[in-house]
Amino acid sequence: MRLKDQVALVTGGSRGIGRGIVKALAAEGAKVAFIYRGSKEAADSLAAELTQAGRVVQALQCDVTNAEEVQRCVETVEKSLGSINILVNNAGIIHDDLFIRLEPKDWNAVLQTNLGGTFNFTKAVAYSMMRQRKGRIINISSVAAEHTNPGQTNYAASKGAINSFTRALAVELASRGVTVNAIAPGFVETEMTEAVRNKAGDIIKKMIPMRRLGQADDIAKAAVFLASDDASYITGQVLIVDGGISLGAAPV
Amino acid sequence: MPNRDEIYAKVSSTLQEALNVDEEEVKPESTLQGDLGAESIDFLDIVFRLEREFGIKIPRGELFPESIFQGDPDFVQNGKVTDRGIAELKTRMPFADLSKFEQNPEVAGISDLFTVEMITNYIQGKLDGKN
Repeated sequence: MRLKDQVALVTGGSRGIGRGIVKALAAEGAKVAFIYRGSKEAADSLAAELTQAGRVVQALQCDVTNAEEVQRCVETVEKSLGSINILVNNAGIIHDDLFIRLEPKDWNAVLQTNLGGTFNFTKAVAYSMMRQRKGRIINISSVAAEHTNPGQTNYAASKGAINSFTRALAVELASRGVTVNAIAPGFVETEMTEAVRNKAGDIIKKMIPMRRLGQADDIAKAAVFLASDDASYITGQVLIVDGGISLGAAPV
Repeated sequence: MPNRDEIYAKVSSTLQEALNVDEEEVKPESTLQGDLGAESIDFLDIVFRLEREFGIKIPRGELFPESIFQGDPDFVQNGKVTDRGIAELKTRMPFADLSKFEQNPEVAGISDLFTVEMITNYIQGKLDGKN
């Protein structure tokens, strides 16, 4: 139990990578609050599963783009579970389209959720972490920040910004024992990547040196590491977890 | 209304928490940066904590007017604060003791004005409704 009695908050926790992170943090002994937007069923089933396993878990519905709602949500968690030690900014969406066709609403939705949501939750917990002189902020980025695909100008911009934000904030909070890191997953088998997988799953697999798609658990293990004391001297880094896809090797 | 000793004690404990220093290290004449190791983010934290501790509002730049002379040649010449600059400091920081600084008004020495006593003076004035 590497995270015994730590209090963690994971955004976008009901499905996909976030769900895996919630489970992994809880399995290491953390009390975990997770945020979901629309997937109440998935959230309830996850909460029930973990409660049954004897974990402390709390599911909260919240729009990560709404700063006031986020503040209230963090206060609720602090009251029920205690001060938050670990924040995982995972909530993310895609609205892929070629740039020429991309609408302002697609641009704004992706930036506001992926980057704005990260800002809102970080803002709501950073001072309290600073006062406790201990905290872990883990932002879920993407290899798409650096190795992007057509149709993802908005997504790539949001993830590139998250990487820069991670480094800049790390510098400000380092002296207070708060580390800020990012994880850049490659191609992970989740609902978000379903459409692309259906279209080009075989080609993608050939591009991955490890010849398999990532699983939520692959990312969750990296998150547990960054949240643990083992990573206490690591800050401002983007940890790539992608089976080697970003190495850019030619398909064999 | 707390008396001066009570204010000082609260300021001292606030600084101990914010800067992670021991009670013995905090003396009235201790400078925040030089003696107590404060960095820029600490100044912000100290302001937040003092606001909470004393139930007051500290407008940005009032207690720590760091940027007071940034790039203004009227106030600074050749790394030294001019007479006009010192007058400005006195107006902006009536709670600071400038007597030593006036003898050798180097810009680099401004940070030494930020002492535990200075904060105590500031809070006392604030609670008296003077500032």
